[in-house]
Amino acid sequence: MLTAEAAIHRTRRDLMLGIALKVLMPLAVFGCFLVGSESLRLFMLFGVIGGWVALGLSSVRRAQLVAMSPSLIAAGRFEEAEQQIDQAILAFSPFSAAKLRPLHHLALLRHAQRRWQETALLCRELLGHRRNVLRGLSNPARLILTDALLEMGDVRGAYDALTILHREKMSLAEILHLTLLQLDYSARIGAWRSMVENMPGKLQFVELMPTDAAALAQALLGLAARKLGREDWAKWLGDRARLLADAQPLMDQRPMLRELWNSDAPGAGQG
Amino acid sequence: MGWVRSTASFRTDFQFTGFAPTIPTVNPSPVDQFDVAALLEASQPQPRIPWTWYAIGAGIFLAILNRMLAGQSAQIDAALNAVCAIAMAGVLFTLMAISVSGVRAVRSQHQRLDAAAEMIQLRRWPEAAMTLRHLLSEPAKTQPFRTQALVYFSVILARYDRFDDAIAVQEHLLDHEQLDPGSAFGLGIGRAMAMLRQDRLFDADRAISELRRAPGAGDSGGLALLEIYRDVKTGHPVEAIEIFDKKWKLLRDQLGHRVGDAWGLIARAHDLLGHEEQARQAVNNATLLTPPAELLRRYPELEKLTGRYTPAPMPAI
Repeated sequence: MLTAEAAIHRTRRDLMLGIALKVLMPLAVFGCFLVGSESLRLFMLFGVIGGWVALGLSSVRRAQLVAMSPSLIAAGRFEEAEQQIDQAILAFSPFSAAKLRPLHHLALLRHAQRRWQETALLCRELLGHRRNVLRGLSNPARLILTDALLEMGDVRGAYDALTILHREKMSLAEILHLTLLQLDYSARIGAWRSMVENMPGKLQFVELMPTDAAALAQALLGLAARKLGREDWAKWLGDRARLLADAQPLMDQRPMLRELWNSDAPGAGQG
Repeated sequence: MGWVRSTASFRTDFQFTGFAPTIPTVNPSPVDQFDVAALLEASQPQPRIPWTWYAIGAGIFLAILNRMLAGQSAQIDAALNAVCAIAMAGVLFTLMAISVSGVRAVRSQHQRLDAAAEMIQLRRWPEAAMTLRHLLSEPAKTQPFRTQALVYFSVILARYDRFDDAIAVQEHLLDHEQLDPGSAFGLGIGRAMAMLRQDRLFDADRAISELRRAPGAGDSGGLALLEIYRDVKTGHPVEAIEIFDKKWKLLRDQLGHRVGDAWGLIARAHDLLGHEEQARQAVNNATLLTPPAELLRRYPELEKLTGRYTPAPMPAI
């Protein structure tokens, strides 16, 4: 099992080697036209190009292999996912995307394993690269970084990440994730009023979230409503959340939610 | 702490795909004029021109020509080499340009398809319908793209109650396209649901039996919901309630807010058995999660509950 530090070290080393190769490659091709007899030049040229094509094909094969790891993580098959990701990180590739994607998948895995420190470390390493190199990984990495920072209690760091995310163009799935993170952050700092602003719009997003996320989001909104004295909304949202998830695990995950349900009469449930 | 106070400035109108969420509306059906058979035909990918092989052939031809004409004089040799080098460069450049153009066209189609998928999720049905019609009116660049577009199209058709056409598209996909097991299973559930809406009970029952034989069928919340609907529709409330009680967690974990559909159907099952209190609680739970009008649109059988049980009221803004 690779630690986050080892994975980062290996990725940085391979990225440096990849840059060196990309600089040397045109020089090697140019050198093939200067040195030796005509047949030797042709042989060397084919060798250089063939080597580069072989590296490319190997990268593509590994990328196809590691593309399965998010599905394995979602299915809870962490060991299999870890094996694939470790293989991809340890294999050399001169292409930045082929090196950064396995690192991102390792961050996803550590996030699913609730290892927040390593998640944050890996995401910060990813986000230190240029946007055109990251190619679609920037938003997902920043979203799970924000989540990890909130879990670690680094509210200020989460705020900085949220501020950047609000300037980005995002897919619907990313918007839904961001909405939950924003609610979580606001609840942690007691910004109850901002949580209940534009409630109809927020509820439309919340209803599109996966079950657990929808339950947590509505529970947090219900808590905000209670804090602002809106008992009707607090009960309505609390009942909806309890139809989507058991209350106890939510309260274990976010102890602040005890205030929403412990003072409720038995409401919605399994009927 | 200024950064705490500034949380109130967090935007709620996010910039993505160019539109903001609205309360969903259903306009007069934009799909009434869709010719489904014509769209199935028009969206077939066209055979690709093998540009790469043409380029290789051109390169070999130039090399042979160069060999044949070489050796006459130094000037002719030099001229020939220059012409061949320019021609080869031209062929390679053209090939690159065609590849880049092809990749851009595929990417553009996929972006439009992703936008249609988001419109469906946000229940912006008219926009999703028109986007998919445009996409399916021209040959798809790749077969997987066409398959995905047709899956979304079948969802739109079912949404506008064109169940026969939805079934036709689903059966076309199941019979002619290579689908992964998960997609085929989901499509099968959609088809069986459309059959139930069309009162094709025998066909629906057969389709459900086929789905039950698929690997992992026992862990499917969608299949459980389908079976509950079938049992309520065919007057078997006891069986519907048994399935619900057995698979309650599965339904909740997999369906999200759509578990409200299951509660609505169970309300009808309890109502059929005269269990008023359970029916009342189930109606309350169903309407907590889903607006009553939407439940009635999806399951007209629930009309019989109207006026007898009170939906859960939504608080005032």
